[in-house]
Amino acid sequence: MRNAYKIGALAIAGSLALAACGSSSSSGSSTGGGGGGKTVVISTDLPLQGSSKDASDATNQAIELYLSQIGNKVGDYTIELKKYDDSTAAAGKWDQAQCTKNATDHVANTAEVAVMGTYNSGCAKIIVPVLNQDPSGPMLMVSQANTNPGLTKAWDPGEPDKYYPTGKRNYARVVTTDDNQGRAAAQFMAKDLGVKKCYILNDNETYGQGVAAAFATEAPKDGITILGNDPWDGKQPNYTALFQKIKGLGADCIYLGGIFDNNGGQLIKDKVAVMGDNTAVKLMGPDGFTGYPELNKLPEGQGMYLSFPGLTNDDLRAQGGAAAKLLDAYKAKYGSDPASSYALYGVAAVQVILQAIKQSDGTRKSVTDQVFTGSGITIPADVSAIGKEIKIDPKTGDVNLLDMTIEVIKGNAETTLKGWPITA
Amino acid sequence: MALSTPEAVDTAPAKSDVIASHTRRWALGFVALAIVVWLFYTFALPNLGTGPQTFVREWMPLGSLNEALVWVICAVGLNIVVGYAGLLDLGFVAFWAIGGYTAGWFMSTFFNQISNGFYFLSAAPPNQPGIHLNFWLVLVIAGCICAGAGIIIGAPTLRLKSDYLALVTLGFGEIIPQVFLNGENVHGFNLTNGAKGIAPLDNISPLPFGPATVSIGNAQIAISKPLGPFDVTAKYVIFVLVAAFCVFVSLRIREGRLGRAWLAIREDELAASMMGVPLMRSKLAAYAVGAFMGGLGGVVYAVHNNSVFPDRFNFAISIILLAMVVLGGMGNVWGVIVGALGLAWFNSTGLPQFGDSFNQQFGTDINFPSYNYLLFGSILVLMMLFRREGLFPETRTRQVLQEAERSDAEELDGGEA
Repeated sequence: MRNAYKIGALAIAGSLALAACGSSSSSGSSTGGGGGGKTVVISTDLPLQGSSKDASDATNQAIELYLSQIGNKVGDYTIELKKYDDSTAAAGKWDQAQCTKNATDHVANTAEVAVMGTYNSGCAKIIVPVLNQDPSGPMLMVSQANTNPGLTKAWDPGEPDKYYPTGKRNYARVVTTDDNQGRAAAQFMAKDLGVKKCYILNDNETYGQGVAAAFATEAPKDGITILGNDPWDGKQPNYTALFQKIKGLGADCIYLGGIFDNNGGQLIKDKVAVMGDNTAVKLMGPDGFTGYPELNKLPEGQGMYLSFPGLTNDDLRAQGGAAAKLLDAYKAKYGSDPASSYALYGVAAVQVILQAIKQSDGTRKSVTDQVFTGSGITIPADVSAIGKEIKIDPKTGDVNLLDMTIEVIKGNAETTLKGWPITA
Repeated sequence: MALSTPEAVDTAPAKSDVIASHTRRWALGFVALAIVVWLFYTFALPNLGTGPQTFVREWMPLGSLNEALVWVICAVGLNIVVGYAGLLDLGFVAFWAIGGYTAGWFMSTFFNQISNGFYFLSAAPPNQPGIHLNFWLVLVIAGCICAGAGIIIGAPTLRLKSDYLALVTLGFGEIIPQVFLNGENVHGFNLTNGAKGIAPLDNISPLPFGPATVSIGNAQIAISKPLGPFDVTAKYVIFVLVAAFCVFVSLRIREGRLGRAWLAIREDELAASMMGVPLMRSKLAAYAVGAFMGGLGGVVYAVHNNSVFPDRFNFAISIILLAMVVLGGMGNVWGVIVGALGLAWFNSTGLPQFGDSFNQQFGTDINFPSYNYLLFGSILVLMMLFRREGLFPETRTRQVLQEAERSDAEELDGGEA
């Protein structure tokens, strides 16, 4: 017994001594991250399972296609792509725990210098602060699809500063934000569809609440009465009672602030079952409902209006230039256009990352600095994957593009209806 | 009955000395193993080649070990309620959630009504809104809040037994996460931030006392570095300490008056009360102690994830925790630890990695993690068929289970044997 105690005491004393050494040595070794060699890894972080699978696969494919077109090279660097999945089979959509895990994995993978993603704003709000505190960084993240304003500008209390604990910015995006999207949707519904009384449903997530709030703020200015703004529960088996209530209030339009993954199919089915088809009572959703072949084929989805904070595949092809060429190459290789218009925005985000890598010394910190110091990153219109000059504001990480497109689901496909001009 | 009673009487006092030294040796084993693991990740792994490094990063990252430790803490807590006192609890996730949200409330910028921030020995950067308490203090607070909640849930269930008790705890486990999910607008007050959860949390200070820096006059003196999201190794040490505390409490309390009262209640409630065991007090104590550990687990989990979300606290967690206790061996702390480590690893890393390797090897595209619960259920069924007492059962449980079998047989055979 006595011996056993001695061993234990020794072990504890030893571990304490080593702990003292360990903490000092770990702070020294952290500078090694970020690489500096000729090959650097960039990653995508997207939901590869559940309803968003098609959109995410298309984005990954478009990026792979683009990288192979440029020979996986930019400046002196060879680029490798690594794909992360921020969804789980159990959730059937993006999952907070998976986002947390991915965040630390991005940092742990020392060859990785920047992240393209995420698709969901809620996920970005988990990953950005972690990348921000990377001891060898901050590590750059550029999103093709996060539209929640709070990530880059004042929105909810404490935003956006709470996502940047080090006080330095490391997050940029190539799409405009939901304050613009909600505004455009309300204006379109008032002016073009002539609706008077709207009921808003949101999916209770960061993104859904944000875009719903933006819609609710703008609508009264255009003469729309907001009858209510309620969350829908993505786990509920049906929404008949909810729509009965809305029908009783005499709503002539429904705005769905959220993502299709949150049981959107059932929601739309029940809306049509209770309130009639989408010509009688107008239905509109934000970009969280775009890029889902499942929705486009849904009979109840026909006639649903969608807004997209950018240019759709149709627009990009009509516009010509680099974007149209990339789309044609995609179609030649995979047989159809990308399932989501965000695919080319994914390429645009990668272009921003690559430009930053090209100008940098190959370390994470340097890559991030290229975007957020000096005049920032500019991608000229002739090479840009979305056919327009992309300019990232080095102060906020927001993009200069303010495109907004209104679409309608018609003949089992998303069809571009018109562009909707917005002013900053 | 007549056969077993004298046996129990003459084995118990003679063995008590042996048992005590036995448990101490186990404790040393725990410490030694924790240190070996730590040494391996801190010193050995960086010096190994890329091959072993990749292997370890894929199959056994320290992050998933940390998560497994969270499960250990909670499973050891549940073991007190289920394993020691024999009260079936299907809603343990509630305590996990309460602990997590306590961390969210007291260690983040969430309460931005307090615009300049309330700081107490916190490692968080100054002048932020919200409440920022020291991590170790939050552990204690969360533990106490959960212990209180444990008593609140325990009190109305005192008159219930078996299935009915399980149902009430099940309800509790369902209600609490719903409260957190819908707590975004409690009469205009944002209590939980709804589905958006609370993120990010403060970086914690590794020392039990004080912040990372102390300012004397204008000078800032660094005492220790606050632990960011990547200080997995330092967090491992902290998690091991918390787990060790729970294990220590479990083992010691079991030897004491309260522990023996719980075991007596578990074996035969009526007999125990006849012998003068205070049923109400003992049962409430079991709930409180178990919940305390659940609260610790919740805080540690929130720190591990750097966030709290209501979605995470679902019914499955209660069931997995229960499976860990049953699989490992109800009542035996070490069995429960093995069960928790094993199942947590299998869930978070083992199965997905096995799936990846399998798919690569055979060119298939099978989504292994989606068969998680199928495998899980099969294992439990097989366990119930062939090893009811769990992998590492408590000696007592084994005796009881074997004895029951024998008496069943006797009854059926009509005394022929």
